[in-house]
Amino acid sequence: MSVPVRAWARVLDNRPAARDTHWIELDCPAIAGAARPGQFVMLGTGVQDLAAPFLPRPFSIGTRTADGRLGFLLRVFGDGTRRLAEMGPPESMLVLGPLGRPFRMSGDRPLLCLAGGVGLAPFLFAGAQARLEGLELRIVYGERSGESVFDPDLIRRITGVEPDLRTEDGTVGRRGLVLDHLDLQDAPQLLACGPDPMLRACVDLAARRGLPLQVSVEEHMGCGVGTCQGCVVRSADGEWIKSCTEGPVFDAEELSWQT
Amino acid sequence: MADLSQHLLGTDFQSPVLLASGTCGYGQEYADLIPLDEIGGMVTKAVSREPREGNPPHRVAETPGGMINAIGLQNVGLERFRLEKLPWLRENLRVAQVLINVVGHSAEDYGSVVSGLDGEDGFLGYEINVSCPNVKDGTLFGTDPTALSALVTRLRDLTERPLVVKLTPNVPDISLYARICEESGADGLSAINTFPGMLIDVEGRRPVIGNVSGGVSGPAILPMGVYLTWRAASAVSIPVIGIGGIRSGDDALQYILAGASLVQVGTALFVDPASAVQVQAGIADYMERHGVGRLPEIVGGLTLPEPR
Repeated sequence: MSVPVRAWARVLDNRPAARDTHWIELDCPAIAGAARPGQFVMLGTGVQDLAAPFLPRPFSIGTRTADGRLGFLLRVFGDGTRRLAEMGPPESMLVLGPLGRPFRMSGDRPLLCLAGGVGLAPFLFAGAQARLEGLELRIVYGERSGESVFDPDLIRRITGVEPDLRTEDGTVGRRGLVLDHLDLQDAPQLLACGPDPMLRACVDLAARRGLPLQVSVEEHMGCGVGTCQGCVVRSADGEWIKSCTEGPVFDAEELSWQT
Repeated sequence: MADLSQHLLGTDFQSPVLLASGTCGYGQEYADLIPLDEIGGMVTKAVSREPREGNPPHRVAETPGGMINAIGLQNVGLERFRLEKLPWLRENLRVAQVLINVVGHSAEDYGSVVSGLDGEDGFLGYEINVSCPNVKDGTLFGTDPTALSALVTRLRDLTERPLVVKLTPNVPDISLYARICEESGADGLSAINTFPGMLIDVEGRRPVIGNVSGGVSGPAILPMGVYLTWRAASAVSIPVIGIGGIRSGDDALQYILAGASLVQVGTALFVDPASAVQVQAGIADYMERHGVGRLPEIVGGLTLPEPR
């Protein structure tokens, strides 16, 4: 596992990417080199900034470049994400990472990425990595409405694949949810990241079709490195386990899905 | 060069800055990010006689100027701590001091943990946690003078190692509890644990925290921590460790001037693991600027206004 690094990183770019959604790029060579798809970083503004909510928050790594840039998909949900969304050059964010267990990607089966909302982010990285390693990968990406959809051209440029788009209101792509109209004939390895109801539906689907599934979970996080024990999820054995260090990517059967 | 060392609890602390219990795990989690052996020391996550499962999520959420948590003392229990966690601390914290935070449902529980660890190497002493707001009986001993006195007296009989009692802020007069600890044989006090609080998701009309309520920490509680440290330190002659919202050298100095001999950095570590080292550097910088040669010169060095 990679060793996490703490670094101040300059904001190189911040542009609107969809409704309430920003594409942020940070200059962060100390972290970019070691990162793997599915890993995350904690982004914050440091202990002296009391104008912002105090805790940093976790973001999946969306892209990384050879010259040390990290790209993130940031959707404004509250005060903390709003503060980060307002930042631009020449400001810096405090970054801790890379953190957590990445997706296990192998060539055993084609990879089918199921992305709900900003759950798209780790699959940008996974797609780029799959292209490098010559792995077959598809992306199904759903949003509520067209105005929330991240630019499909950018997805294509980053990953080399055409995203299969879904919106609930049908304004862009096919009308429906991520799991509607799925083609599973190639018996893929499923990778899922999105809201909890979507993940649960993925678990049902994988079980029904006998397909392997890895999920990236999200829980409120304090430290990101396993000390605070804040971000627990229920394991299949009934224990509370930390999503920051034991996840955020789990095989579906490692977790309990009882409500 | 300012001398940051403190001689107390029968030993030397190379600096007054410790990491607070519950914010640094068992040390190893921060090994790559914090030079643990270059600070004053750390206090472990609570250790109970039996492993504890902890509370359901959400366990943490942010609040203005801080956070609320209800972890519920999830920990590996005495035996696994002794076998799996303590050896790492012994090997890696050679100069920095280690206090083991101890919890229990009963005085017997606390006693079992102390007795079970006392013969081991690799730590200085105990921080007795009578002040967790997030489990049913977490503040039982911290808010009942008779029970507190009996607990500290009992533990005093079980160990010669330093016993530091971590006080709760949720009492009408902290100086009373500080004096009870001192009279019952405690060697030091930690002031303070978190304040009970609650956060409500108005859209869902539900408590945000799975445990319903939690403990509030972070910069928002700094003035309360400084005040209660001042009250406690003024009431006793044993050393007090100041805790609550520290994120800079000046924050730590407020506690030190209020009477704290040592301080603990907690929630700030989540925001920036480098904050403990920065607090340490900030204290050194202050001492240089003010010509303070040794830290004890300014402990409790607050100048109060003349009574009118």
